[in-house]
Amino acid sequence: MRTTLFRIGTPALAIGCLIMIFLIATNRELPAVAWNVILNPANFQSFKILFISIILEAFPFILLGILFSALLQVFVTDEMIRRMMPRNPVAGVLVGGLLGIFFPLCECGMIPVVRRLIRKGMPAYIGIVYLLAGPIVNPIVFSSTFMAFRTSPEIAYARMIAAFVIAVLIGLLLSRFMKQSPLRTDGRHAAKGVAHFHHENNVRVHDHLQSNPHLHNTIDFKKGRIRSKISSTMSHASEEFFEMGQYLLIGALLTAVIQTVVGRDVLVGFAGEPMFAYPFMMAFAFILSICSTSDAFIAASFNGIFQPGPLLAFLVFGPMVDFKNTLMLMSTFKLRIVALLIALTAVLTVAATLIAEVIL
Amino acid sequence: MTTTQHLIRFLLLAGFAMLIVYLFRTGDMTLFIAPKMELLVKLSAIGLYAAAIYQLYAALKARRKSHAADCDCDHQHSSSRTKNIFVYSLFILPLTLGFLTPTGTLGSALAAKKGMSFTGNEMISRSATETSSDPVSLSTKGSSGNNNDNTLDELFPYDEYTVDHARLAKQLYEQPLIVVPEGRFIETLTALDLYRDAFMGKEIEISGFIYREEEMGEDRMAISRFAMNCCSADALPYGLLTTWPKANEYAEDDWVKGTGKLSISNYMGNEILTVELTKIERIPAPASPYVYPDLEFGF
Repeated sequence: MRTTLFRIGTPALAIGCLIMIFLIATNRELPAVAWNVILNPANFQSFKILFISIILEAFPFILLGILFSALLQVFVTDEMIRRMMPRNPVAGVLVGGLLGIFFPLCECGMIPVVRRLIRKGMPAYIGIVYLLAGPIVNPIVFSSTFMAFRTSPEIAYARMIAAFVIAVLIGLLLSRFMKQSPLRTDGRHAAKGVAHFHHENNVRVHDHLQSNPHLHNTIDFKKGRIRSKISSTMSHASEEFFEMGQYLLIGALLTAVIQTVVGRDVLVGFAGEPMFAYPFMMAFAFILSICSTSDAFIAASFNGIFQPGPLLAFLVFGPMVDFKNTLMLMSTFKLRIVALLIALTAVLTVAATLIAEVIL
Repeated sequence: MTTTQHLIRFLLLAGFAMLIVYLFRTGDMTLFIAPKMELLVKLSAIGLYAAAIYQLYAALKARRKSHAADCDCDHQHSSSRTKNIFVYSLFILPLTLGFLTPTGTLGSALAAKKGMSFTGNEMISRSATETSSDPVSLSTKGSSGNNNDNTLDELFPYDEYTVDHARLAKQLYEQPLIVVPEGRFIETLTALDLYRDAFMGKEIEISGFIYREEEMGEDRMAISRFAMNCCSADALPYGLLTTWPKANEYAEDDWVKGTGKLSISNYMGNEILTVELTKIERIPAPASPYVYPDLEFGF
């Protein structure tokens, strides 16, 4: 458990430091001044409203994701998942990319579901493709993008296509080169032979202490009565709520601080240089961490300042990788995989949106 | 997991559920999320309550079995205490903020950070229509009606993307006093800006909070609102620049209703639609400080 603290603590501190460095570099203010900025009453109000509103807005989706994941755990056997998944990696990746159309979850709800699916035997690369494409390639996000960019509907189409292509490319790469499980704890307890680093192992240990007939193996599963199934679902769900919730809260906290402290004028300074416009809009999407259902409206407010290319980069990169969900990803996947995913997504987003800019 | 931990989790889950109920009761929920999200948030309160009750049940169960729990899992208690304190205090923070600190509204401070828009929706800006193909041709084709319609169509040329704003602009044009409505705040500002030439000299009334930038000087200020889509993290400020000789008598974030004539003024090198105020009065802050995009607009 101590290692878990370091695992959360170190990246969180590192990110905190990066933010401080960014503030110092852009405003030439001391960090102490940044704290004064937060503590001034008007900014405190903005911070509080943003912080709580991000949490409240994410709750329904995260709860839905957790519930869905717990139901998968209790009611769907590994065998069923394995049978449903295509054998062929190409087919699998394509299916993963389109899964969002049938299960439109947003990025916060998706991580517990994908983790569960991978643990239950879905090939990890398919899970990751779903994780990347799902928050964009789905009907809800398409309609909100279409609405926000009513005067240039091609943006909505380009967003869907670019996201799908990027996710599929990453999935194909991973299916070739990723041999180990990307999940954080899978290799771990095998290597160390110690079960306690890992919450699910804890759940197993503790649940049977709690006398509940446990449902992890199929024999129990068949015998299990409704009551114990419900109980098991609830147990998984509330465990996951606290596990995912802590990352959501850290993400919401830092997002609210950043939105309160860093002004758009600082950001718009980058708009003129196309060299900077792409990385800038992606960094901005990363920092904002807004749900993919409403980010199109933010992007639309930048129209006229930015070319379609950088706007598209914002729309494609943000839902795939942002501040809030990076923290959540780190709770689930190995750090190396998270870093690799962010890097690949960033590079491919720039490439895809540059191409789109030329076509549009 | 110990009884205490289950109880802490019970309290936190119940706390969040109660925070949601509390915010709905006090009416403060509108400050955080848009009306279309309200049902979902209410449902999540039910989910949180259910999880809380489960934790209570698990706590009672763990207590009965506490002698058994001692054997296998106490090894982690000491080492995980720091982490638990860290995690649980993270969950306590929003609860404390939500229950114990008074809730204000978003105002100038955040508007300055988010960047005020003086031209309505930037998607449908004048520059966008100027570059689009031959806006007038479509409208002249479409107007086979009487003379009156023809002149209106000439005033409000449109293409396929601005047709709805042109229709709104025509409605606004026929009003002796244009009152910027809450329901279509952004759409109205967009239509006014799009067809600003037609609206020169028209009477307009707009309510909102005062927003000011240094460059505005002593006789200019903006009357503005925050427009929210889902939650206040995606709220963006929209406003109209106004001129008033004694503008500095109004503090930032004061709520006012201003009436005046539409004109153009030069602000930071851009020609900006401006209201030359003839009358201004303070008003109480409205129940919901936000405006929401009209999702049915144009459908």
